[in-house]
Amino acid sequence: MAKNVEPEIEDDLNKKLAIQIVKESEDDRLMRLSVGPQHPGSGHFRFTVTVDGDYIVHCDPDPGYVHRGEEKMCEYRNFIQNIPHLERPVIHDSSNIIYSYSLAVEQLVGIEVPRRGQFIRALASELDRQIYTLYWLAIYGIFLGHSTMFMWPTADRELFIDLMDALTGARVTHAFNIPGGVRNDIPDGFKDKCLRNIAYFEKRLKEYEDIFYNNPLFRQRTEGVGILTKDDAINLGVTGSVLRASGVPYDVRKAEPYDVYNEMDFKVQYMKSGDSFARSYVPFLDMKESCHIMRQLLDKMPDSGEVRAKLQPNPKGAPGEAYRRVESGRGALGYYIVSDGTPKPYRVKISVGSFRNMIALPHLLVGSKLADMPSVYWSLNYWPVEADR
Amino acid sequence: MTSEPKEKPIESSTTQSSPSSTQPAKPATQPAKPATQPAKQEPESPPFEKEIVSQILSHFGNDKIKVSYIRPLRIKISVDPSNIVEVATFIRDNLGLDHAEAVSGTDYPKDGQIEVIYQLGSYSRDDMEGHIFSLATRTNRDDARLPTLINVYKSAEYHERETFEMLGVYFEGHPRNERFILPEDWADLPPLRKEFRIRGR
Amino acid sequence: MATAPQGFRFGNFVGSLIWLILWIIIIVSLIALPLIFVILFYVPLPPVNGDVLTPYLFLSMMVDPTRTLPIVHFIIHTELFRIAVFPGFSFAALMAAVTIFVERKFLAKMQLRVGPLYCGKVEGILQLLADGLKLVSKEIIIPSGSDKPIFWTAPIAYVATAAAVVALIPAAPGWVGANIDVGLIAVFAILGFFPLIALLFSWASNSKYPFIGGLRALHQMIAFEIPFFLSALSVVLLAGSLNLTDIAEAQQPYWFIFFLPISAFVFFISSLAELERIPFDLPEAESEIVAGWLTETSGMIYGLIQLGSYVKVYALSALFVILFLGGWAGPQIFPKELMPSANATTAPPLLQLLTLQGVFNGVTVSAIFWFAIKTFGIIMIMLFIRGINPRIRIDILLHTGWYKLIVLTFINMFIALALIYGGILGPGGLLTAH
Repeated sequence: MAKNVEPEIEDDLNKKLAIQIVKESEDDRLMRLSVGPQHPGSGHFRFTVTVDGDYIVHCDPDPGYVHRGEEKMCEYRNFIQNIPHLERPVIHDSSNIIYSYSLAVEQLVGIEVPRRGQFIRALASELDRQIYTLYWLAIYGIFLGHSTMFMWPTADRELFIDLMDALTGARVTHAFNIPGGVRNDIPDGFKDKCLRNIAYFEKRLKEYEDIFYNNPLFRQRTEGVGILTKDDAINLGVTGSVLRASGVPYDVRKAEPYDVYNEMDFKVQYMKSGDSFARSYVPFLDMKESCHIMRQLLDKMPDSGEVRAKLQPNPKGAPGEAYRRVESGRGALGYYIVSDGTPKPYRVKISVGSFRNMIALPHLLVGSKLADMPSVYWSLNYWPVEADR
Repeated sequence: MTSEPKEKPIESSTTQSSPSSTQPAKPATQPAKPATQPAKQEPESPPFEKEIVSQILSHFGNDKIKVSYIRPLRIKISVDPSNIVEVATFIRDNLGLDHAEAVSGTDYPKDGQIEVIYQLGSYSRDDMEGHIFSLATRTNRDDARLPTLINVYKSAEYHERETFEMLGVYFEGHPRNERFILPEDWADLPPLRKEFRIRGR
Repeated sequence: MATAPQGFRFGNFVGSLIWLILWIIIIVSLIALPLIFVILFYVPLPPVNGDVLTPYLFLSMMVDPTRTLPIVHFIIHTELFRIAVFPGFSFAALMAAVTIFVERKFLAKMQLRVGPLYCGKVEGILQLLADGLKLVSKEIIIPSGSDKPIFWTAPIAYVATAAAVVALIPAAPGWVGANIDVGLIAVFAILGFFPLIALLFSWASNSKYPFIGGLRALHQMIAFEIPFFLSALSVVLLAGSLNLTDIAEAQQPYWFIFFLPISAFVFFISSLAELERIPFDLPEAESEIVAGWLTETSGMIYGLIQLGSYVKVYALSALFVILFLGGWAGPQIFPKELMPSANATTAPPLLQLLTLQGVFNGVTVSAIFWFAIKTFGIIMIMLFIRGINPRIRIDILLHTGWYKLIVLTFINMFIALALIYGGILGPGGLLTAH
């Protein structure tokens, strides 16, 4: 049953039709559903599943609904002009997606970020990670029908959005990290507010555990569902919380520490079972760890100093290429930038965690029940807009 | 023929060595430093990465593998399309690089070539945790064909499909060389080619 | 998290209320009253008691209790009143409306929100009216390949069946739409229509997601009808009758929930499954199959089905109250002096006025009061369960319904039989009502 086989269609019409527009199969048992972009259970992502009764026999992802050609657009703008549109793939986790870009550009242009700027950059990255993970958790709740678990994380997200608003001036798409550091220094009273919010949030995390993770119905629906073994996870090349839930303790912040992460003391949270429950629990553990990191960052931040390195107007990159990556909410987010000595990059390739995790979707869905589809799909930490770039 | 323009690179404090990839027919070249660089350059490549590269070179020989650069945590080698499957198999089995993090294609119209780079990483080997190994290959722009690596690295499946539609590189052996992210009725050039201009720019 | 709207000022609120009253007075006195007089002037009315029935006489007649109360008395005790108003459809619809509003507010408070706030001056009370008007005015879109007769009649049948269940439920001694001897079986027979209507409607929608939803609804409702019925059977064993009024009366000394807690539990879970409420709302699972078998409904069709759903909520909660919580049993909230006595006419005039000359019966009012309170309590428990649970999966649901719940009902039936055999309950028992 667990073979991803397309149902047989013997018809000349199929050859005449354009690719991916296939005539429905004549088999009565199989029904093809399009979990399409206009669906309360899929975000902006389309995938078709073929069901036999209640079991899924074939799954075919079809991204591209929100493809905007980010990589092509990068070639027409210089390094600084690229920042606003590069944030758009993940608007609330924008610090991380620009962080990686900034690291690569700094390597090409050859600038050193001042120490205080590095701390603030890491702080913004952690705050955005919380914002993204809470939103992901909210949508996970509503996918399983738990409306309270949709409302609570969305409300608690406001704590961190308020902080980012005070720090950067925008609630989402902060455009805060830039090559060279951050745009501005932290305002007065930010540290106290941040610590207060973190303390309140840690109390709320306990309540999440009670109402959501310890709920027997939730456990019934996610434990043992969509098991991704460790070997499969490594072979399929998944990343982020999906990988850590299958028993591989890999975190880019530990594997390849960037900025000040080698001075921070934190553990890589991972679980071994690899089912949907583990994939939904690892981000929760990550959030707790993130609070811990934020406290250390606020503690160890140098009291004064520059926050950005001065860039020349129209900075030119040395001819060469750079590949840098950070750990975002979804996984390793890497930028491969080729520069040819002009102010505009020659090629920017974004390697996003969502796109890499997409390959696990047909692998896990085939052979599982239709009712497990939301819990498996969203537990892969898939953000459709980012995967389409 | 190289891909570098003739401008003077900015003085940098990070380790840099310009990538140079040549036509497959020419003999191998070493990482070349531009003559205009000041003397404050990294004297030699990091030992661990060098050791890894020497493992590959000793197995395949210098004529099949061109080393583009060896930097801390980043290695890039360039191979022929005809050798890429066996090189990839060797890398996967012996060096512990078990997944492809990205497959990026770059269009170099000046060389008349498209370079496809497989960025490989390792989850199972602890000392190669932070490494990204770039396996590059080049093919002609006009008839871009490459053998697929999905039998070696299953994780490259969707990336290769995306490279097909964005750059027009046909991967032989890939089951679905089809539109993935672009709409089904895309009837224009592959977008990441340099002759495809965004409207208005 | 704020629970009061920004910029709320009590002075403005009082001012708007006074404005409202002013406008009511103006409209009534300047438009409504003259209209009434004009109509009464032109409509020929019969002479009464030798007087010509002028508008003034008519108005004074309307407020004279001795004339109008017999009419009211007469109307209240007709069948039509019982079916249409109380405890029939209007009462059920009113309870349904209150349930919907309370559900939205209650769920909102649990979820750190406020719920409806702006529609209606006090915490969004008129929100339901606004939603109802909106649904009525929407366009009803019928899919092109659908089976139109069934598409139109299924929602109406849904509401009608829900109302039929309500007609069998007594709200006070003597107040029931249809007093059948086999009332309980009739309730279950009527409840058996719902899976059929759901399936017909989903098939008539001619689309894949409603089809899956309809099949799920069918499986779910059928799976839970058996534990539903079996748990009510233990009540019948103890009460000795299938008539719902008799069952409620039989619980006068002690409610059956003390003797049959397991049955009550199973009945409650089964009624949640019959009502398609969270955690059993698979047929309408939003994130998997869009809206299940309700996907193609729009406008008033959707409104009717929602109304039917909530009327069913009231009906099944009321059934639970009657079967297990003693129906209307409860301490009298009116003093004994207000009870109807044999010589009602010689009672003091104030009492006559208070009880509206016997229209207003202390026993009945107390019964209705307790019945409403208990029903509402059960509904609140159902709402609470909605707030804290995710959705269940179909195979776990069927497993629960067919294996676990039936076993539990049998256990309780044996308990009930043991109680009867031991002479505690049942005919001639120690604790039976006499």
